[in-house]
Amino acid sequence: MAFKCPVCKKQWNFSLQVARHIFGTGDKPHRAWVESEGESYADLLVQQATSPGNASYETVAKLVEKAQSKL
Amino acid sequence: MTTTKKAQEATAKKGQEMTTFGLAKEKLTVLNTHVHNIDGVAKVTGRATYSFDTKLPGMLYGKILRSPHAHARIKNIDASKALALHGVKAVVTGKDTLGIKQGIWRRYQELCDEQILPVEKVRYIGEPVAAVAAATEEIAEAALDLIEVDYEVLPGVFEPMEAMKKDAPTIHEGVERNINVTRHIEWGDVESGFEEADYIREDNFFCGGQAHMCMETRAAVSSYTPEGKLTIYHSNQSAYYMQALMAGVLGIREGDIRVIAKYVGGGFGGKFELDGAIFCTAILTMKLFRPVKIVYTREEDFIATKRRTPMHYWVRTGIKKDGTFCAREARVVSNGGAYTGMGATALYLTGFFHSFPYVWPAYRYDGYRVYTNTLPSTSMRGFGAPQAMWCSEQQLEWMATDLGLDPIEMRRKNGHYAGYEVPGQAYIASCGLDEALTKTKEWIKAKGKLPANRAIGYSAAGFMSGGIFNWFDTPYSFSSAVVTINQDGTVILHIGATEIGQGSNTTMAIIAAETLGVKVEDITVHSGDTDHCPADLGAWGSRQTLMTGNATKRACEDAKRQILEFAYAKMGLNIVYDLDIKDRWVHIVARPERGMPWEELCKIATRGKDGQRIIGRGFYTPHRKGMISPAYSYMMQAVEVEIDKETGHIDLIDSLTAHDCGTPINHLGLIGQLEGAFSMAAGYGYLEYMPYEDGKLMNPNLVDYKMIRATEMPETPIAEIDTYEPEGPYGAKEAGEGLTNPTAAAIGNAIFHALGIQMKECPVRPHMIVQALKEKEEKDKAAKGAKKGK
Repeated sequence: MAFKCPVCKKQWNFSLQVARHIFGTGDKPHRAWVESEGESYADLLVQQATSPGNASYETVAKLVEKAQSKL
Repeated sequence: MTTTKKAQEATAKKGQEMTTFGLAKEKLTVLNTHVHNIDGVAKVTGRATYSFDTKLPGMLYGKILRSPHAHARIKNIDASKALALHGVKAVVTGKDTLGIKQGIWRRYQELCDEQILPVEKVRYIGEPVAAVAAATEEIAEAALDLIEVDYEVLPGVFEPMEAMKKDAPTIHEGVERNINVTRHIEWGDVESGFEEADYIREDNFFCGGQAHMCMETRAAVSSYTPEGKLTIYHSNQSAYYMQALMAGVLGIREGDIRVIAKYVGGGFGGKFELDGAIFCTAILTMKLFRPVKIVYTREEDFIATKRRTPMHYWVRTGIKKDGTFCAREARVVSNGGAYTGMGATALYLTGFFHSFPYVWPAYRYDGYRVYTNTLPSTSMRGFGAPQAMWCSEQQLEWMATDLGLDPIEMRRKNGHYAGYEVPGQAYIASCGLDEALTKTKEWIKAKGKLPANRAIGYSAAGFMSGGIFNWFDTPYSFSSAVVTINQDGTVILHIGATEIGQGSNTTMAIIAAETLGVKVEDITVHSGDTDHCPADLGAWGSRQTLMTGNATKRACEDAKRQILEFAYAKMGLNIVYDLDIKDRWVHIVARPERGMPWEELCKIATRGKDGQRIIGRGFYTPHRKGMISPAYSYMMQAVEVEIDKETGHIDLIDSLTAHDCGTPINHLGLIGQLEGAFSMAAGYGYLEYMPYEDGKLMNPNLVDYKMIRATEMPETPIAEIDTYEPEGPYGAKEAGEGLTNPTAAAIGNAIFHALGIQMKECPVRPHMIVQALKEKEEKDKAAKGAKKGK
């Protein structure tokens, strides 16, 4: 299955890759989308920067998966 | 070696051989010899005039008032008492400027965040607040004490981990959690890579800052005339950058600003952004119409310029039992200090070079740069790579030791090779890593058994030969050159490159002499003057030998083609004959004895062109060369170290540098560059420490800030690894910056092999060794006890 970025509609094979793309881009529209889903972009970013593992990416990946049906 | 690797290497080698065949036919006469710096005599006799030495008629002296607070709002500045002091001509503050925020990342407005002479608030101790121009330096200094600044002191934050917390003070309005920029690199399937690994290791490291420590501190003399022309003598790494950036903050045209940087006493990555000296002298001279000079004291250079970026590194690496690399993941949080500067680039490059010089099937890097109320961090020789190698090369050494593998052979097994493509990032056309590893191994073997507490450490690295990134968003080519041939055979070369003591003018003179077939003494080089030299991005990212070198070569080829047309006509040759010039002798390639003197041809050509001199033009801008650089150099650094276990004192006993710089342009220049790089990088490894307390640097002087001294330098023999880089002029690539990358890690590895302790913080200071030994002893005792208990 392909996963699309809810903001710019770019496509990847895994939702985790879309999450990384959202963090990597980090512009206003991508930040705003994360916020609109009820998460704090800054909190997730800081969590990712300061703790091992991929918890923040996984959180966003789940949001991406949920959003696919609406795209 | 895999079949793919072999095939790729063979293809790359074939390409090189074809080029080498062409080159072999063309005998080199100047290049790859020992040439003394063409400006050496001027420098050692004191004739060379640096910005520091510049004196203009009617010149005033300036001084800068600096913030004593790490974070404060400027409520009011009262300069009336200072202005009343006899000899004071002007005081300027942020209100005298256009208030434009500037930065070198012109493509991204949000990264242009620094206002030299800020209007609203200061963000680090030492930030300029006001500047004075007076008849003498002493009066200017005295006037600083008379300026009254009313501050509202704000809470500061000094560590990136603290600055990211929810309740941390906001340093730049609108920047959430003080996160300045993030950078991400990824290729391959990292999760699967780790699943395949037999051994996974995670480590946390910290790499400190480092002062650039140029012999010439920041200095500028600016002079503005009523005709609206601004001339600036400035110690910098890129006259063109300064011209363009100053035009931006002053609101005048680039062409109305002339920047002269003829002689520069070192840069090391710290002098290609605007500084207080250039900006304040310009504001003052535009107010007074008199030249103004500002020279930073050594203390100012420490507290109010920029520094190497301190980084917190987390590294997770997975390898197989046989030493095959499977996957790596790294995360960096860097202390950005108060402003962006070149820090965003350093953040990307540290992640990129952390993968070097190895083939990682899967790699992931996440970098976060965080604002703090400390001196801004930026690029410094190595551009983020020394920090990357400190972590990478030590962790790999520990892992090889844990697995009982030969660490050199493990490096060889996974090393880059000609023909390899770093996925989505870079293509490696030439690579001397394998030979560098062999030379290092031979050197270690020859050393034999070493006394107690003494060991050899080594580290590999790779580096770029010229940065591709066009953060500056310039419409000009990256490098360009103009060569003029006089009727007497002498040659004038104009390049926009900046000679910062690294010998680039000599390098270009050699390339010009080789290409035109004349001698180095025939060439006069003009550089670092925006009125007379073509635009060039300057001296950073090891770009001048390759980029300006290519531009110079092409300009000379253009001139040579023009002048040889006259030789063909004069000699009445059959069209199938090729002509060439060597040692000022214009001749038929197949019959070298048939020809004419160069000088005679120059006269004929000038007359033939109705008195016009022959002018050749060349330029270079990389295209289709990946994300980072057109070429990469490779190196190994080995260091023999002795440690006093009682005091933790480190002695550097001996070293070996094995460096692949493509075709060496100038052996003497190469040696000088490599020795200099070793000294700076070794200092980073065990001496140069920048302690801050509440945002204040505690050792801003050369007594307390320890640098390596001549007596502490070991022998630095060099093993030249000659490869041929197809993209470089005559096959050349960088030398001098790349070697800053492996040295600190080599020292760390030597400590590990001597004492069995793993040092994770750089620089390694004596008390850290004593502490680590104590902890090791306790751990060993506990292990023994447990064994007995069993």
